[in-house]
Amino acid sequence: MARSTPTYTPVRNYALGFILSAFLLFSDISYGTFSQLRGFVQASNLYVQMISGSIFEKFDNSLSFFQESKNLAQENKLLREQIQKTRTEEFIKRKDLEESLQIIDLQKTLVSSLKSTDINIFKIDSIDLRNYLCCSTHRIFLRNSNRVQVAENTPVFAKSSFVGQTKNSYLNFIEVILFSDTNHVLPIKSKFFFCDARGMGKPLLISCKINKSIANFQNKIGDTIFTSGLGGIFLKNIEIGIISAINPIAINEIEVVITLKTNPLEENFYGTIGIKSDEI
Amino acid sequence: MKFSNHLIILLTILGGFWLDEFLNPTTINFFLELNFGFLIFAYWVFALPERIQSSVALIYGLVIDLLFSNVIGLNMLFFITTSYIIHLYVFRFRIFSYFQLSVFFSGSSTFYTACKYLLLSPNNYSYVVLLISFLITLALWIGIYFTMRAFRRSFLNL
Repeated sequence: MARSTPTYTPVRNYALGFILSAFLLFSDISYGTFSQLRGFVQASNLYVQMISGSIFEKFDNSLSFFQESKNLAQENKLLREQIQKTRTEEFIKRKDLEESLQIIDLQKTLVSSLKSTDINIFKIDSIDLRNYLCCSTHRIFLRNSNRVQVAENTPVFAKSSFVGQTKNSYLNFIEVILFSDTNHVLPIKSKFFFCDARGMGKPLLISCKINKSIANFQNKIGDTIFTSGLGGIFLKNIEIGIISAINPIAINEIEVVITLKTNPLEENFYGTIGIKSDEI
Repeated sequence: MKFSNHLIILLTILGGFWLDEFLNPTTINFFLELNFGFLIFAYWVFALPERIQSSVALIYGLVIDLLFSNVIGLNMLFFITTSYIIHLYVFRFRIFSYFQLSVFFSGSSTFYTACKYLLLSPNNYSYVVLLISFLITLALWIGIYFTMRAFRRSFLNL
């Protein structure tokens, strides 16, 4: 329990604090006033994590080296360690090869889908998993070690489909807004309709409302959905997912739920088209 | 209060938010949203009302917003409101039983979660999450209360 009485705090201070924070909250939600600041802090956090990770790794290495040198007298152990080392090296080489193959695969897919050879490949650095699994904000950060210049709203590709678009660059990181983010709107089409699909704030799901009754809606669950290219950002006719639900909202209005093709949680590499290729 | 004490308090709150960040991706599958960070802040205001007042709540909120939130102002707003309510009823809380305190703090935490969802993620607003979170926090508060009290007595001596 509290041990002493609280000192007198005038309600005016609380009221001022309340108004100030409400104002900041309103301006940030409505106009994204502090998005730059937040992005900078997030990028700095990632840097701190990277630096502390590398320091810890070096410390761990030197510690294990010390222990290793102590145990060198035991020949048997040394041999075992050497075998282990060789295995690890092989594993790393194999992993490197797999990584290179993944990059080559992605590059090939990008070249064939986007008809462009000026492509930048980035490795994912972090995904805001907490928000991705529960909330409206679905963002990932890509590591831009070579400081490639990437414009805002550049389409981002992974595996064999688009996953989102670049939102901003902070230090050496690129922030990508995913399709499933509630602030993202993607013009899509199928054989029978065009619409602007908005992220549902749930993993892999986007939806759009169409002024038709269920009886008049010609598509069915499982039908493929493509980008329409009408927003001027994404190329048209790129497959992005399938219809996973059709829900009636009113007599003449339905909601079409689309499950996206590419799961960002399963991808390591993401690609964007270079600035020169993107110019019309 | 010394600056170092403020730093220790802030670090415990940051630890709570970090724990939330770490656990919530798993617990949300069970319709549970934990709020250790908020509860730890509420504990400090409850335990040291004379030392944690409006300006301190505002600064703590700003730091948390910068490091953990998607918008600036959310934690500032809730920290200052919670701080005011606790200050207002601090004498009444002293005669409350642990269960009554649990209900109050768990309710505050659930209200915080509800508002967070309504403001930032209305599509994912769920009464099931709120109900389960309320019941679990009811039990968790007792643990947080005794852990933080032991911590305060060992490290802060306030």
